[in-house]
Amino acid sequence: MATGNKSPSTPIPESSAAKPISDASTPTITIDLTPPSDSTPGAITTTSAAAASASNSITAPNSIATTTTTTATATSTSNSTARPHSEQLSSDADIIHIPSYSRWFAWNSVHECEVRFVPEFFDGRSPSKNPRVYKYYRNAIIRRFRENPAKKITFTEVRKTIVGDVGSIRRIFDFLEAWGLINYTGSSKPQLKWEEKESKLAAAALQGGDAAGGSGTNVTISKSKLCSNCKGVCSFACFASDKHDMTLCARCYVRGSYRDSSEFKRVEISEEAKTDWTDKETLQLLEAIMHYGDDWKKVAEHVGGRSEKECVTHFVNLPFGEQFDGPPESAELDTALSSQNLSRPTKRMCPSPLTDLSHPIMAQAAFLSTLVGVDVAEVAARAALTALSALGDGKLKESFKISSGAAKQQESDIASNSDDPNSMEGDLAEARLQLEKEDEELEKAISGIAVQTKEIEDKIVQFEEFDLQMERKRQQLQQLLNLLFVDQFTLSLHKTPAQQKAGESVGEGVKAD
Amino acid sequence: MKSHSAWGTSKSLVKFRIPTSDNLVPIRLDIEIDGQRFRDAFTWNPSDPDSEVVVFAKRTVKDLKLPPAFVTQIAQSIQTQLTEFRSYEGQDMYTGERVVPIKLDLRVNHTLIKDHFLWELNNFESDPEEFARNFCKDMGIEDPEVGPAIAIAIREQLYEIAVQSVTSAKESRISKKGRRAGEFYSASKTGGNAVDLVKLFGNKSSVIRKRKEWDVYEPIVDLLSNEEVDALEAKEERNIR
Repeated sequence: MATGNKSPSTPIPESSAAKPISDASTPTITIDLTPPSDSTPGAITTTSAAAASASNSITAPNSIATTTTTTATATSTSNSTARPHSEQLSSDADIIHIPSYSRWFAWNSVHECEVRFVPEFFDGRSPSKNPRVYKYYRNAIIRRFRENPAKKITFTEVRKTIVGDVGSIRRIFDFLEAWGLINYTGSSKPQLKWEEKESKLAAAALQGGDAAGGSGTNVTISKSKLCSNCKGVCSFACFASDKHDMTLCARCYVRGSYRDSSEFKRVEISEEAKTDWTDKETLQLLEAIMHYGDDWKKVAEHVGGRSEKECVTHFVNLPFGEQFDGPPESAELDTALSSQNLSRPTKRMCPSPLTDLSHPIMAQAAFLSTLVGVDVAEVAARAALTALSALGDGKLKESFKISSGAAKQQESDIASNSDDPNSMEGDLAEARLQLEKEDEELEKAISGIAVQTKEIEDKIVQFEEFDLQMERKRQQLQQLLNLLFVDQFTLSLHKTPAQQKAGESVGEGVKAD
Repeated sequence: MKSHSAWGTSKSLVKFRIPTSDNLVPIRLDIEIDGQRFRDAFTWNPSDPDSEVVVFAKRTVKDLKLPPAFVTQIAQSIQTQLTEFRSYEGQDMYTGERVVPIKLDLRVNHTLIKDHFLWELNNFESDPEEFARNFCKDMGIEDPEVGPAIAIAIREQLYEIAVQSVTSAKESRISKKGRRAGEFYSASKTGGNAVDLVKLFGNKSSVIRKRKEWDVYEPIVDLLSNEEVDALEAKEERNIR
């Protein structure tokens, strides 16, 4: 039985994912990953990956009847890009979903993680188990599943149709199922924890700034695990054993004396990963923090459904940057926190606990506040607040630059001792407006480009068709020419003897005469 | 080739195993609980740990949505067949150049297969699965369940023959009639199955079969209609009861 490695080294960091995409699209079937999770803020395919894949699909037209459409939603937090590729066999476009951590899969080759997880075929121990056989089993299983991708395929169906010994088939089947190459319908399937870890690692490997908050998993993760012994919810760790098909919470495992401790695998569960923070929840969290400040109990109450610890961890992991379309929240938050920061100087000397977590904004704000002194910072904060409320909540796109720009401006203003709230407000407002304009222009440009490329693609297709027709016409013409030539030739052949005969008969006629 | 005896020269003692490239055991299940019948056949790898048996039984019951009472029965049945196989494992069997006829006569869903061919027992690289795959491909069989059924049928017959040769090896050792007689003894005992190559090829020394034997050895694949399938099933059940 393949020992499920608990935390394998992440097979593929997201950065190298661009390569396997083009590899994986072999001539036969191109499958593609869409993490169909509904509203996870920051799913796996974030902006950079989306841009990379967009360029891939447009510039590499290796498609035999694959139509790629990339809809890049670069700015919004919510949804990931979907790239449906049509299967060449069926007439309607079937979309096969596989999770992005399985994109190494290719029909014709064996990847190293397969070698790792199903080693019996690759270590040469038994002569009948070799990579060729493994590929045959694996491809047969996957092909069979894809004949009807809406239906989950069971092991028994599969093994009835594949020639081979059932033990190995079962192991391959389990492996494929765990990696989402089979039966991946994206719904609530209980997954092993190592999958979540891997997807998290992949997400983290992207860019620090853009890392999805807390739970950038691309699979909607299951409900909580129930212990099969005491029927309670497993909280931190549970022990899963496939052999006996049991899941035990830590307590039951320790209490009961279960033989063969090797059979049980420890599975970590962290509360955070089990549920994704929706936008609404995040908003609530921020509001609550603004109102209640440090009182995490009240915050947790306000958010509803999240424990204190969750709230704290999630808040701490939030990136204060482009992700948030609700600018007043974050800006106010910054200032609110910094003002809190100041109101309790004894508790929060520098460095405050928040700066430790390397949030650029917070670090900057805390640094500035300590640099500048308590009173001045208070005044600056108040000024910023009034500016914001004065401008109302339009479509202000808050960004790191704005805050830092505002902070820097404030600092310089304060340093130069010009204590003029109006000018500061004006500057702040101007900066914001400019940024907003730039953002809009950028968006327009991007969408314009996308439209143009689409048009170009269409034109190319049309031209190809024309070319084809031209070619056909040319061939017909050539055939006609050939026929003509043949006719001419036979005619000339007949002409010469006819002429001779005519000549002779004339000659005879003359003679006779 | 003429003086070459089919049995004599290369008779050696080998540890028991199924004479194919992978040592897989054919398992057949036929369990009936509360009027529900479960019949199945598949190949098992005897080097899998025994815990696999229970896992497999549970998986099958879950996939086919059978009542859970089947789990223990299935597991037991598999275990008994496995232990039987293992009981032969330590023992010796004779291998010689033996070519045995294998007959296929099976019905899988809507396909009926009849075939008869020769198989070399000595060839430990032989692969019934490969044969089954090629058979299905060549005969254009679309039902994917046929392949495994063929492979299992072949394996079962090979298994029986191997078992016979083990018992004959034991007997020939017990009967202390000296070596040559022993050979004859075993030859006559087990030789019923095997084909005498000398006789076949000796006279004409041509490998081509005689014309009248062609239809004996030809594979027949029939696709049955639903009614025929039902009729056959009913007949089989009657036979078994």
